[in-house]
Amino acid sequence: MFRLVYSPTWFYGKDLLIDVVSVVVLLLIAFTSVKYYKLNKRNKNYLYLAIAFTLMAASFLFKILTNFSIYYIVLETKTFGFITLVYKSVRYSNLPLIIGFLMYRVTMLLGLLLLYKMYVKPENTSFAILAYLILVSSYFSRHAYYMFHLTALIFLCIITFHYWKNYKRLRKPSNKWLAYSFALITLSQVFFVFVRINELFYVTAELVQLTGYAGLLITLIKVLKKGKNGEKARKK
Amino acid sequence: MARKRERSDIILDMLNAIQHNGGMIKPTRLMYKANLSHQQMKLYLEELMQKRLVYKVREDNHEYIIITDLGCKFAEKLRQMKEFEKTFGL
Repeated sequence: MFRLVYSPTWFYGKDLLIDVVSVVVLLLIAFTSVKYYKLNKRNKNYLYLAIAFTLMAASFLFKILTNFSIYYIVLETKTFGFITLVYKSVRYSNLPLIIGFLMYRVTMLLGLLLLYKMYVKPENTSFAILAYLILVSSYFSRHAYYMFHLTALIFLCIITFHYWKNYKRLRKPSNKWLAYSFALITLSQVFFVFVRINELFYVTAELVQLTGYAGLLITLIKVLKKGKNGEKARKK
Repeated sequence: MARKRERSDIILDMLNAIQHNGGMIKPTRLMYKANLSHQQMKLYLEELMQKRLVYKVREDNHEYIIITDLGCKFAEKLRQMKEFEKTFGL
């Protein structure tokens, strides 16, 4: 049977809250990047970073909306002759849910692909071709769930490695925080791959993801604080 | 090899140099501190003055460049931008 939800019932809603936190953090970083792009329009990487993080935020929004419609099970009352039945029903058909999950996967992978292209700069690989492959594999694959998390895992591994190399080069605390945060987000994908074995993997994945995005928020705060205090620190 | 300084790097170096010097600096010292040629400094200084980030005063036969509040705020913004750029490897 086609399965859309892997969360245990007691975790319904809590996972949505974790995803809302992820959206807020991603949008904050995207907004900051756009703000700096306006200051320095020659460096297009600010714009690409903003687009990538916005796509990832949009992806979580699709996931939240889709999961919310699944979790939103309403009580309906129907009368059959002299018997009145109260039963739970899902209001939506499968199609919007499938589209919702497809959009979640495609936007997340496009965001990660953009980050990958920004940092790795692979030669002779067109963004359009890679985007097309992502779209096709997300829609037509029988194992779309695994395809998605494995592809995300590969992209995230490469991006995390890039951030780690950057930290090794610069040795700055904010670079370390960024690398660790992305490492946690990468680890969450590993747990997502195993959710079919046990629903607790889903809970673990969501909690690791929350820690990763909390780390990203701390990174952003550290960056802004360091910029603010930079001059004072040097004067001392 | 060290990368070439961008426009924003040069402006930040100039504003930092003035702030380091207590908010005011002589043009020759600024030229030396920000590592600029005379021609470059003239061009950048004109732009900074146009945007009201700095202004010139004459005291005891010496010319000084003073950073404004707007200039201090702009320097802070640029420092944050550079920190963001380094962290995310942009």
